[in-house]
Amino acid sequence: MITKINKILGGSLMCCAVGTALMSLSSCSDFLEIKPQSEIILEDFWNEKADVDNIVAGCYSALLEDGVRRRMMIWGEARSDNFMSGENINSDGDLYKVIQENITAMNSYTTWDGFYDVINRCNTVLKYAPGVAAIDPAYTTGDLKATIAEVTALRSLCYFYLIRTFRDVPYSDEAFTDDDQTMDLPATPFYTVLGYLIADLERVKDDAVVRYPETKPRYQTGRITRDAIYAMLCEMYLWNKDYDNCIKYAELVIQSKKAYEEEERNKGGRGLANSNQSIIEARLNGYPLANDNISGTRFGSAYEAIFVDGASKETIFELSYEDNPSNANMTNNSAISSLYGNSTSRLGLLAATEVITEDVKTASSRKVYEDDNKFLDARLYYNCRQEDGAILKYATSSVTVDGSRAGTGTWNSSAADYSWFPQNSNGSKWIIYRLADIMLLEAEALCQKMGEGGDADVIASNTPLLDKAFTLVNAINKRSLCKALLTGTDTLKRADYSTKSLMETLVKKERRNELMFEGKYWYDLVRYCMRANSTQEIIDAAQNRSKDVNSSFVQSFFKRMDAIFWPYNNEEMKVNTNLVPNPAFGSGESTSYEKTK
Amino acid sequence: MRILKSIMMTLALFAAMTAGAQTITSVHGTLSDDMGPLMGATVCEVDGTGRIINSAITDLNGNFTMKVKNQKDHIRFSYVGLKTVTQPINKTTYNLKLVSATQIKEVVVKSKKRAQGNGLPIPEREISYASQKLDMKELEGLGMTTIDEALQGRIAGLDIISNSGDLGSGSTMRLRGAGSLSQLTDANPLIVVDGNIREVNLDNFDMAGANNEKFAELLNINPEDIASINVLKDAAACAVYGSQGGNGVIELTTKRGSRGKPHVTYTLKLTATHQPKGYDLLSGDDYTMMLKEEYFNPRQDDNASDQNRIPEINYLDETGGFSEWRQYRDNTDWRDAVTQTGLRQNHYVTIAGGGEKATFRIGGGFDHETGTMIEQKLNRFSTRVALDYNVSQRIRVQTNFSLTYTKNDRNSDDLLAIALKKMPNMSIYEKDPITGADTDVYYNMLQSGPYIGSEVFSGDQRTYVNPVASAHLAKNEERNYDMNPELVMNYRLLGLDEDHWQLDYRGSVYMNIANHYNDKFYPQELKTINWEDKVNTSSTGSSKSVSFNTKHTLTLTPAFTNKDHSAMVMGRFELTSGSSSSQSTSGYGLPSTDGAIVSPSAGGLIDSPSSSYSQWRSMYYTVSAHYAYKGRYVADFTMRIDGTTRFGPGNRWGYFPSVSLKWIVSDEAWMQKLKPTLSFLAIRPSWGRNGRQPGQNYLYTSKYGSTSRYIDMSAMKPLNIRLSDMKWENVTSYNLGIDLGFFDGRLNIAVEGYSTTNTDMLMSSFRIPSNAGFKTVPYHNNGKMRNTGWEFHINTNRVIQKGKFSMDVNANFGNNRNEILEMDEYILNNKNSTYGYANGETLRRVQLHNPFGAIYGFKYHGVYQYNYNTFKNAVAGMTKDEIYAYWAKFTAEGKTAPVATSADGQLILDANDVPLRMRYDYRIDGTGHDGVFPGFNGGDAIYEDINHDGQINALDITYLGSSLPKLTGGFGFSFNYGDWRLSTQFTYRVGNKIINKARLQAEAMTGNDNQSQAVNYRWRKEGDVTVIPRAMFGSTSNYNTLISDRFVEDGTYLRMSYAQLSYAIRKKYLTWIGLNRISFYASINNPFVLTKYSGVDPDIAFGGEDPAIDWAQTPRSRSYTLGITVDL
Repeated sequence: MITKINKILGGSLMCCAVGTALMSLSSCSDFLEIKPQSEIILEDFWNEKADVDNIVAGCYSALLEDGVRRRMMIWGEARSDNFMSGENINSDGDLYKVIQENITAMNSYTTWDGFYDVINRCNTVLKYAPGVAAIDPAYTTGDLKATIAEVTALRSLCYFYLIRTFRDVPYSDEAFTDDDQTMDLPATPFYTVLGYLIADLERVKDDAVVRYPETKPRYQTGRITRDAIYAMLCEMYLWNKDYDNCIKYAELVIQSKKAYEEEERNKGGRGLANSNQSIIEARLNGYPLANDNISGTRFGSAYEAIFVDGASKETIFELSYEDNPSNANMTNNSAISSLYGNSTSRLGLLAATEVITEDVKTASSRKVYEDDNKFLDARLYYNCRQEDGAILKYATSSVTVDGSRAGTGTWNSSAADYSWFPQNSNGSKWIIYRLADIMLLEAEALCQKMGEGGDADVIASNTPLLDKAFTLVNAINKRSLCKALLTGTDTLKRADYSTKSLMETLVKKERRNELMFEGKYWYDLVRYCMRANSTQEIIDAAQNRSKDVNSSFVQSFFKRMDAIFWPYNNEEMKVNTNLVPNPAFGSGESTSYEKTK
Repeated sequence: MRILKSIMMTLALFAAMTAGAQTITSVHGTLSDDMGPLMGATVCEVDGTGRIINSAITDLNGNFTMKVKNQKDHIRFSYVGLKTVTQPINKTTYNLKLVSATQIKEVVVKSKKRAQGNGLPIPEREISYASQKLDMKELEGLGMTTIDEALQGRIAGLDIISNSGDLGSGSTMRLRGAGSLSQLTDANPLIVVDGNIREVNLDNFDMAGANNEKFAELLNINPEDIASINVLKDAAACAVYGSQGGNGVIELTTKRGSRGKPHVTYTLKLTATHQPKGYDLLSGDDYTMMLKEEYFNPRQDDNASDQNRIPEINYLDETGGFSEWRQYRDNTDWRDAVTQTGLRQNHYVTIAGGGEKATFRIGGGFDHETGTMIEQKLNRFSTRVALDYNVSQRIRVQTNFSLTYTKNDRNSDDLLAIALKKMPNMSIYEKDPITGADTDVYYNMLQSGPYIGSEVFSGDQRTYVNPVASAHLAKNEERNYDMNPELVMNYRLLGLDEDHWQLDYRGSVYMNIANHYNDKFYPQELKTINWEDKVNTSSTGSSKSVSFNTKHTLTLTPAFTNKDHSAMVMGRFELTSGSSSSQSTSGYGLPSTDGAIVSPSAGGLIDSPSSSYSQWRSMYYTVSAHYAYKGRYVADFTMRIDGTTRFGPGNRWGYFPSVSLKWIVSDEAWMQKLKPTLSFLAIRPSWGRNGRQPGQNYLYTSKYGSTSRYIDMSAMKPLNIRLSDMKWENVTSYNLGIDLGFFDGRLNIAVEGYSTTNTDMLMSSFRIPSNAGFKTVPYHNNGKMRNTGWEFHINTNRVIQKGKFSMDVNANFGNNRNEILEMDEYILNNKNSTYGYANGETLRRVQLHNPFGAIYGFKYHGVYQYNYNTFKNAVAGMTKDEIYAYWAKFTAEGKTAPVATSADGQLILDANDVPLRMRYDYRIDGTGHDGVFPGFNGGDAIYEDINHDGQINALDITYLGSSLPKLTGGFGFSFNYGDWRLSTQFTYRVGNKIINKARLQAEAMTGNDNQSQAVNYRWRKEGDVTVIPRAMFGSTSNYNTLISDRFVEDGTYLRMSYAQLSYAIRKKYLTWIGLNRISFYASINNPFVLTKYSGVDPDIAFGGEDPAIDWAQTPRSRSYTLGITVDL
């Protein structure tokens, strides 16, 4: 029996052996050519519109990654006096060091790879999308131009984050695909990069999508539109001290938003009954901001519309997160959950500083909130919890302010109800640009155009600028007052802000209040300092962080302009010797003998 | 059956009779021997090539009849034990008497023992490369359960270190030092079984690392099946394996059947294993006391650990306001609760035998094992079948099949690690709220809810599961099926013996089928968290891997008329193709309460299904030649060409040549005088090149894969930077070996010296500037590294023999030195860690022209007796001279205080004559560590301020020793007395240092983990003289556990690997029960380790870039085995 089997096996073996030998000899090199099955290789990709769309979506989803988002928050605000260490800060030692102003090149928050990942994805699209347009008739020239505008804007946004953080960064508009490309690029100076970004955006702005299809309501704010590019140009021009262009683009955004609002209202899709329209317009000085309740005593719908629901009429560009945890294919807003808090641990790694929480108790010359409105400002309730500094913006899924309790003239902590997002499913949208931001940027630019001194002609030329700036600020301020019908005593008075410096202070204060915890304030401080060529503003701010930093140390530390930027990461400098380390920061390595004394 | 036979016979006879005598179509006759008729003898018609055309078997009376095809053929009569007779077919009746084969006198059988394996079948004495062979006959009757156990300490230059004592976890093997710097390219030697390489690719599967996989390879072969082990060491030896042989090769040859009547062997081994204990842990009472001090010390505040802050350590009662108070009053020995004595039983049955045409060997075994950790269980069934069939003298077909099924019930958590850390005042079982007695519900620290207890435990104790509960309730089951069918055909195309030119063809087809399944369930009882936060989690996964290999070899052996020349040439083509796929699903929120529903598809929420697929192919061409002149001047040459899918079109083929020479000096005429003593002397130089390939496919392509979606858009991203010009890593090695034999081979010595240089090293996860969008590329060719070393091994062949007594010795030692010769500066920079000033942080330094594994740290000088303020206040108001005098007296009394001193031991005073405090990492720019840490104080560690700058910082770090041993090796003795045999084997390592991180963590007293009893000797109050610093909570509140010579220990050891006593009962005493042999043995494995090392086991892996660190893995267990082997 066994022998029989063996005979059969032996025969088949022979066939098998001969067969394989023949096969292998005939196609020797083909045999060694295999393709991955779970991935697509370059040669098979970039054939049709869907390929381009997929990578473009990948550019966005890379921005949503926790590492990138965390850095947007930490780079943009953690060193400012809006934040102090919260609960369990020891669990993130590097963040604690950031808060303590003890940043070294070893700190993990000095890594930037997430941003360059997005940049490289954008560059890859720019490299290959024209080829797709050439072979796929469904991908039209118009589509291609829109794609180019979209990814150029995303790339510019990333570079803008990088230069605001590190000042000079390696700049490349080439896609990296091969390991023999030159990667250790030297850093390009701040203003040079900024110039590139402005030029790029100016070039593509008219190709960008103005309106996404109505069937995709989240695209309008979740993806790059022409308005988003205008908004970026507005801010970039402000950093570039080109105030006229800043104002120009701010106005373009405002006009566009107004037109959109008009259109929507005519369609009856959005907006309120016409009877209320005039009341809202009066309150918001005609700006299409997301309005809060205008009747009754419950306020907080503006907060929910902007930060929780997303795609609000005020929003220009946001990172659109998903809050449904079962939808695991999309990134959850986990950075908020850990940094700001969640329903399980309401105090996150970060908390609002005492400057912000104490402000409520001071009756006059407040540092953050306006004196005039006393306790009517809804932002008092949804920025943070005044008792312990727990951050509520983005961390809560709803904040309801009881206007009848808030408006009594004394501080009433129980005037608001919050409900936090659960730990694993924060679905808040991260706002990159919204109208209030742009309006305040315009107001800032207007201030910069004002002249100094009390001469009559200065006053005369300043007055329209002051008027305009006040209108902008006032609209934002009035929007947040939790009172249905405003009286004169509730609102800011134009007469109080009659000089450039008073108006400048008002704009800064309102900007800090309105955009608190949105990852903007540190960048604002850096801009103020660069403009003034003095770090005084940051030194003053650092004095408010006495819980975490040594005030005499920061006093001397921030004397140099270098200190307001971040050091390059150690590991980065090891592989890229063309990077010149920021002299304000230690490497974190064992220091030299001289230095340790 | 018999009736049928007789009918057939009658018919055949009838036919024969009717046929004319002119052509013979059938033959018949009777066979007999001295004892009478032969039943079952073989009669066959054999053609000119030796192929069997017809055959018949004699019946009960020795009669046979057989049809004949061709009269030109021959007829052959054979019977086991009798001499085969071949006669021409010229008659129809053959009546023969066969004579016993054993009666033949004076026949000199000249056969040469030839090398087995994948290379040329060279006579063993002509082998010119470095290899070492271990014949399993030496180990016969020994109770080895795995191959690596048998190899340990036996092979010079082979270092085997068990990864941990867990069931089914593997060992790390390093032949001649660390071959590779990269973690992704495997550094273990290649394992070859009967010429086949097991190619399994389960990369994407969640397995506990590649080492387990490697180990499984060895586990899947039962030691009972192994005939011999051959370890190939130098490049010339490994040349036939080309790029696969870069780390050396271990060739295993399995046993095959032999002619003879079926031979049955049954082996049973019973083994008990237990774990060495290691350091003693604190009891509950000691632990709570330590914790109280730990919280008090940093704050100097009595309320720091009071019942409001940490109710768990305050022995509260029902009035304390802490609902869980009953659970925290115990003295639990968690380690004791999770360890046990493991039991193992191995059964193995083999049947071997065969006749002239075919031989067979069938083995089957079953192993059952329980671990030294509770609830670990392993069942294994293995079988191996080897069949050989001789179609003719020229054609032989072989078929082999092996199957191993393993079912491993593992623990879901690392029980021992948890047990060592878990608070001992907590109870295992929940207490009855009324009686206070243990219930049968396991207690887990609350992780959520209003009665959660102190927040100080949130980062540690609260996350530690109850290890006893985890062992009993969680499920983690692994099942593996491994099948290896093989078909081989040998065809001798030309001559059959050495007098003719021989051309032999060998073709084989081999498949490897590996299936792996993993099922896990983690019940909610182990997690006291909310339902939404994912409880009752379950996952199931499987992976399949199939590989196919075919080899075609032609070997030409010319027959020279001049017998001084002998040569052999071989050409081979080999092709491998394989694919693997895996999928897994996990779910949570299963509706299970008692672990009854454990499948992820059972109605829970499906979490993240995933799947993967991969594929690989390669082709190899080998040419190998051997030439010997006068049998004493030998030259070998091998060239192998490898092609694989892992490289891009430009660099797809690698060329690996090797040359080796041998001069058998002792065969020279002028050496003959020395023959009586120096019976053998040979010199073997060799040179060769091997290679190494990356462990991943598709590296040379740009890949695009999917990523998380955005809004409703599916998204993709570029996955990699393609490696356009990645090359093979080359390993070039020189070897010089000397073989010595004394007293007619009774004492054999081999000495080898080698130098291996790796160039174009494949550095894995190579960091690139991240402005390229990626942080790393998977591989990059860079650097040059050299391993040099020497080895020495001795074995004896009955070196001492007196009557019934004989004794043998084997010994080996080796030394390897590793050096980086070239490397890009920034790779080096990247490999070198930056000192982060944290407790327990090891500093890694990889420097050019230096070996790996150097240990750096501080010098430790005990504990400061007095506080800084005590000293400062004592000298306040004194003049400078008084202070100096006070200091002199202070130090003379042996007292210590944390003050800075100059190089000559004098106090450093500031402008106001206040002594300066010893600080830690003070930096003028405030970025140092002295901001939060005010400086050292009483009870803190004294580190030597080497540069006397008044502070401890990175500049005080000094070299503390090397992790590389000066010598490693082993030796063993075996004694025979009659039927008794005692063998012992020892391994040792000399002159290496180990960082005992396990002890560091067990004496740190900075967190809430349980500590070793050594901390009972901690500094508690001023004036205490001790070497254990004070308890201080917080990772930055103190710097008492920096890496210092306090934790760097000498790892020198001598281990007795095993001692085994065996006894075989002679056949003559067994005939009455019909048995051939019964042997008994008792062995003890790892009974003792002689070492000064304070950890559990000094067997710590070394050889990577990092120094050797003891992380407290499960130590190698001790085992006691009783075995019996019965031969039928």
